[in-house]
Amino acid sequence: MSEHDEHHHPSAWGPHDWSHGAPHNSWAPLIMSIGFGIFLFMLAAAFTNGVFDASYVPLVFVGLLVSLVGLIVWWRQDMSFDGTYEPIATGTPFKNIQIRKVAIWVFLMSEMMVFTSLFSTYIRYRTGIENCQTVFERGDWVSQGYTLEAGEALICFEPASHLIASSMWHIAPGAINTFALIISSFTIVQALRWAKKPLGTVDEEVRRKRVFRYLGSTWVLAIIFLILKMTEWFIGFYVPEIEILGIHEHHIHSLYSEGYLINADHYHHHDWVDEATGATMLADISVSASTFYVTTGTHGVHVLGGIIGLTYMTFKAWTGGYTPKNAVSIEYFGLYWHFVDLVWVLVFPFFYLY
Amino acid sequence: MAHYTIMGRDPYWMNFFGLMILTLIEVAAVGLDLSPEATGWSYTEKKLTLMILVGIGIPKFIMIAAIFMHLWGDEDSKILTLTALFPSFFIIVMILFIGLTHPEATTGLPEWCRPGYYN
Repeated sequence: MSEHDEHHHPSAWGPHDWSHGAPHNSWAPLIMSIGFGIFLFMLAAAFTNGVFDASYVPLVFVGLLVSLVGLIVWWRQDMSFDGTYEPIATGTPFKNIQIRKVAIWVFLMSEMMVFTSLFSTYIRYRTGIENCQTVFERGDWVSQGYTLEAGEALICFEPASHLIASSMWHIAPGAINTFALIISSFTIVQALRWAKKPLGTVDEEVRRKRVFRYLGSTWVLAIIFLILKMTEWFIGFYVPEIEILGIHEHHIHSLYSEGYLINADHYHHHDWVDEATGATMLADISVSASTFYVTTGTHGVHVLGGIIGLTYMTFKAWTGGYTPKNAVSIEYFGLYWHFVDLVWVLVFPFFYLY
Repeated sequence: MAHYTIMGRDPYWMNFFGLMILTLIEVAAVGLDLSPEATGWSYTEKKLTLMILVGIGIPKFIMIAAIFMHLWGDEDSKILTLTALFPSFFIIVMILFIGLTHPEATTGLPEWCRPGYYN
């Protein structure tokens, strides 16, 4: 602690007087870690061996509640952050760079490793297990009994893109999501730009409104992303007949209603019925479905995390909390958000299109 | 923030438009029938599509990292780019040596680790 901290006792619960330096005694990380720990352990316990046990549900909510308390403590401290104190690294190799910025990059490095593991798993399974369509075209389906007994399912790889890229309507949610994330990357950069405009060059009310609107737009786009993902996974949608545009009526089924599930060990796609004999090929696609849902789901969780952060930041922007001095907070969140976009740039072509 | 321009214009706007155009091409590459082009180049349509998707994915990745994430053109870009590239060793090992080139891929795994073993 510096000299002028002698008579200052920063609260561990916030808000904080940042002119006395950064708070060294926040409870937020500890509370959030305990909360996330309870949440994850109880969620896992609620689905032991695929069987749902409702008795753990209250503890799942306890975990969420503790995490929320941690978040509130963190946000109460950050609400008072006016940019007076921004720790700068003094040693090599990051000399003169903000420590928080370096920390975000180190965090992103760990994130890269998480997603690389998921991608290598996908590549390994996709190249190591025969494609269902290939097996079907070769004629190894169940009722003909070439390699399997009747009713037995063949383990093969059925990429989700087989369903998703089957028509432009099926691709639509994923494609819109791609555009939504790119636009949101742009809006967050614009929020940073307006927050960073030097004092006196812009009216403060205009700054407040612009930062609020751009962060709010990012929030809306992130919500659209998750809604469309849920639509694609669980809900599906209806396309009405519009004669003028040449659009025909369609019922676009969700992946769930198509039976594309992580436990689909007897999956049969409508394409795999042999018209001559009526034989249907049964496939165990649980591996391919798992890699799809785990990877895209992990990405979705990151979007959800971003939404939680954006909710707070949009509120802070509404109160006029961002100035050129503390605008770096938007930049740091922006790095995380661009990373989420970056991952989607790879997830979309390889899981949705190919 | 960026202290440069791209073709005399704001880099963020240029990057944004570039990304939108590349994504449109990406979606079109999947939506359009590329089988005549693929036959002409002695590829399967799927392989041609994959090549296009990889070819578009790489510049998109670089555009977001370089311009939106400020890994190019800022004072601290160099050291932060090196920081960002640090996990590349892990990425190469995971993708190249585990994902792509493991001789037996999934078939060589112990039984308990193979697909279909749920006990």
